[in-house]
Amino acid sequence: MTGSKNFSMSFEEFQNRSRLYVIGALEPDELDEFEKARKEFGQKGEDFISECYGLHEAFALSLRPAKASSSIKEKLMTMVRQKQQRA
Amino acid sequence: MPEDLAGSAASFETETDKPALKPQAPVIEPGEPTDLELMEGIQNEDPDALSKLYDRYNGILKALILRVIHNESEADDLLQEIFMEIWNQSKNFSAHKGKPLGWMVTLARRRAIDGLRKKQAYARAEERLQSETEQQPDAWVHNSTEQEINFGDTRVLVRNVINCLPPAQREAIELAFFRGMSQREIAANTNTPLGTVKTRLELGLKKIYDGLKELQHEL
Repeated sequence: MTGSKNFSMSFEEFQNRSRLYVIGALEPDELDEFEKARKEFGQKGEDFISECYGLHEAFALSLRPAKASSSIKEKLMTMVRQKQQRA
Repeated sequence: MPEDLAGSAASFETETDKPALKPQAPVIEPGEPTDLELMEGIQNEDPDALSKLYDRYNGILKALILRVIHNESEADDLLQEIFMEIWNQSKNFSAHKGKPLGWMVTLARRRAIDGLRKKQAYARAEERLQSETEQQPDAWVHNSTEQEINFGDTRVLVRNVINCLPPAQREAIELAFFRGMSQREIAANTNTPLGTVKTRLELGLKKIYDGLKELQHEL
C-alpha cells in the first residue's frame, strides 16, 4: 500500500499497528504507513494510541518490584536541591 | 530457538496458581496525594512531591530497568537518572495523554534500552539473561517489600493476563518490550519467519490489551 494514492488502512489494522508502535516494534516501512493512517484517523487515532501506552504500565506492573540502593534517593534529592539553588 | 534465548518466553514472571483478584491501584493511604497530585507538585518544583513519587515507584521502575540491563549497580544509576529526568521533563507530562505511571514507565524503558544499546551489551545481556533464568538472583527473589505488597494483587492480575498467552507470543513481546528488538531482530534471534513474528506480536498484544480492558471493566 505504500505510495498508493488511495492509501487507506482499516481502523482495526490501525489498532494492531498502534499496539506495535507503542512498544517500538514497527518496521520502518510499516512506520510510514502508520504515520499516514495516523493523520487520517486524527483525534480518534491519537486517543487510541494514548490508550495503548497503558500496555507499558501493565508490563511494568507484571514485574516484582526490585529494591533500589538506599543511597540513590539521597543522591537524587541532593541533585534536585542543588539544581534549585542554581536556578 | 538459540540457546541464549532459551527460557526467555517465561521471563514474564509466572504465578498462575493464585486466585483471581480484582485489580487495584497502588495502595495509597487516606490523605496521601494521588500520583497526579504528585506530578503537579513536581511540575511546580516541589522536591517533596518527587520524594513521595520515588518512594511509591522506585521498586517498579528499578525492576523494569533491571529487566532490560541485568546489572544491579547500572540499574541503580539509571534509576537515579530517570527520576532526575522526571523532575526535569515534568512539564512534558500531560494528564490528557495518560497516567503518571505510564509516562514514567515509557521514559524509563526508553532510557534503559538506550543504555543497553550504547554499551553494545546485547551479547553480554543475553548471557546474563540465561544465567539469571537459571540462578534466580537476589533482585528477583528478595523478601517482600512494602511496595511489593502494595502492588502484589495488581501484579498477579496482570501476570494472569500475560500468562494466558502462548509461549511464542509471550516471547516475542518480551523481546520487543524488554529488549527493544525490532521484528527483524526477533525473527533472526529466534529463527522464525518475519511474518510469524509479526502475527505473534499482533495477536499477543491484542490479547493483553483486551484482557486489561476486561480487568478495568471489573472495577
